[in-house]
Amino acid sequence: MDTIVEMKRLNKFYGTHHVLKDIDLSVSRGEVVVVLGASGSGKSTLIRCVNGLEMYQNGSLVVDGYPMPVEEDRLLGGEKELVAIRKGVGMVFQQFNLFPHKTVTENITIAPMRVRKKSREEAEATALKLLDRVGLKAHADKYPAQLSGGQQQRVAIARSLAMEPGLMLFDEPTSALDPEMIGEVLDVIRELAADGMTMMIVTHEMGFARDVADRIVYIDQGSILEIGKPDTFFDNPTNERARTFLARVLKH
Amino acid sequence: MIAKSLKWSRHNLFGKPFDALLTLIVIPTVLWLVYEAVAWALAEAQWDIIPQSLRVLMIGIYPADQAWRAWIAVAIIAALLGMALGYVFAFKARHAGFLALVLLALAAATGTNDLSNLLFLATSAVLFVGGWMLTSWVPLSRKFLVPASFIGLIAIFAIMAPPGANLWGGLLLSILLTLVTSIVTLPIGILLAFGRRSRFSSVRWICTAYIEVMRSVPLIMVVYWIWILMPVLTPQLNFSDVVRGMIGFTIFYSAYVAEYVRSGLQAVPRGQTEAARSLGMSEFDINRSIILPQAIRVVVPPLVGNVLDIFNNAPLVFIIGLTDFLRAGQMILANPQYGDRTYEVYSFLFVTYFLVGSVITFVARKLEAHLARGSR
Repeated sequence: MDTIVEMKRLNKFYGTHHVLKDIDLSVSRGEVVVVLGASGSGKSTLIRCVNGLEMYQNGSLVVDGYPMPVEEDRLLGGEKELVAIRKGVGMVFQQFNLFPHKTVTENITIAPMRVRKKSREEAEATALKLLDRVGLKAHADKYPAQLSGGQQQRVAIARSLAMEPGLMLFDEPTSALDPEMIGEVLDVIRELAADGMTMMIVTHEMGFARDVADRIVYIDQGSILEIGKPDTFFDNPTNERARTFLARVLKH
Repeated sequence: MIAKSLKWSRHNLFGKPFDALLTLIVIPTVLWLVYEAVAWALAEAQWDIIPQSLRVLMIGIYPADQAWRAWIAVAIIAALLGMALGYVFAFKARHAGFLALVLLALAAATGTNDLSNLLFLATSAVLFVGGWMLTSWVPLSRKFLVPASFIGLIAIFAIMAPPGANLWGGLLLSILLTLVTSIVTLPIGILLAFGRRSRFSSVRWICTAYIEVMRSVPLIMVVYWIWILMPVLTPQLNFSDVVRGMIGFTIFYSAYVAEYVRSGLQAVPRGQTEAARSLGMSEFDINRSIILPQAIRVVVPPLVGNVLDIFNNAPLVFIIGLTDFLRAGQMILANPQYGDRTYEVYSFLFVTYFLVGSVITFVARKLEAHLARGSR
């Protein structure tokens, strides 16, 4: 299947607050979609719906062929249906969310061993390969508290990759990092994109967004206002509010 | 050295006028009290009552010729405690020296000169150290701690049962009660804590109701209640008073452990669950491997304090006719021959409770420091 994420008229409410309004979005395999918007615009909520961390009330959401149930259906059932979706979707968080009581290697191997039932040897071999890929092989037996922010985030990326996902979600991956560490994380993400990974990224790094995106999605107050190629969006945005947003953001 | 202590005193004791005043009042008072107490202890007190009634204090009305069973129980407990200790603190040679000193002090203080008793004591000490070394040096043995403790507990019950469980008493009973309650309330408390956070409102409601009820009633009432209820509820199974007392304690303290664990669960950041969920892990796996370890780490200090609480509340079993350590002391004083030795007996009781309490809080502090090792 060519489309890995299909959202049709997706709506989400927090109580009476309408957070996502009639979202229509398709993401194709191999595509890198960057979601831009002001704080509170709903961009994080949008990608958190894709792997079920947020529930939506009506509309349709299909991820890699699996339909994601609406909130009503989810409250009654367990999280079992979601496991199938989540096995194929990796997520990297702003706060890294590494498991502090486990070593770097254990962080990476726990999910493949428990969820994909891999053997310890297989999981650890994969873990070492992935750590090498993100440049952290030497830190395999350290605990997250012993690593810097940039290193922790790269371990988080390796942890998600260990599940061999078809889609990676990034929720402001560098927003909690010191400036000098942002580069090393963005480089890893760039490499992943170059290797053909399908991604949905929420970020404030405009230069990076322009570089890596195949499409830019601009969202404001819960609605998608503009979708376009990066060059088009950054140089010649058609939407008025998008223009204001860019003017504010690109000042520095 | 003198200059340094003078400087310290000047700063800490006499720094401000108010401090100086307090010091001038408190220090002489304390010194006088200590002098009076020590003078009494060394000169006037008749300590011979302690060695004479040591058996009653230690095992209550348990028959004297069956005391060897109690010693086996002590040995098993020593081994289990040693194993538990080795889980956290590695055994080093200097610990052995310290332990030997403690043992000598114990033997001297209680005036034990019975050879067989001393041998039993030594055996228990050896097992304690053995268990400690085992889990310190053989990592594989750590997995066996939980099954070993259950087997150990069952073995203790089996060994001590024949003369009649209602004859259990003294310090051994207090310790057994504390151990069984501490061990059994942990899994029950964890289940209750998760139940209280459950998706299903019926589970949530039942667990919350249970916890709130148990925390609103006095322990002595629950113990008495269970003691009366059990023969009515399960007429076929004839539970002894001791077991009914343990059940009462367990039912009561499970609620407290549940609350401690629940506060630990709340302390785990939501991001942990989110990250684990997005990796596709099942709720059970997430709770077992990610949430619970982090939660327990946080609440170990209050949980160990809870153990001390249980030990200090053990005397309440008097209400169902059991003779624990405190009651044994009172029983000794009831004997008209020893009626005038109140101070001696109560001093002994006080010192013992204080020592046990100090050991438990010391372990809690060390555990806290050990668990905090990994974090910045």
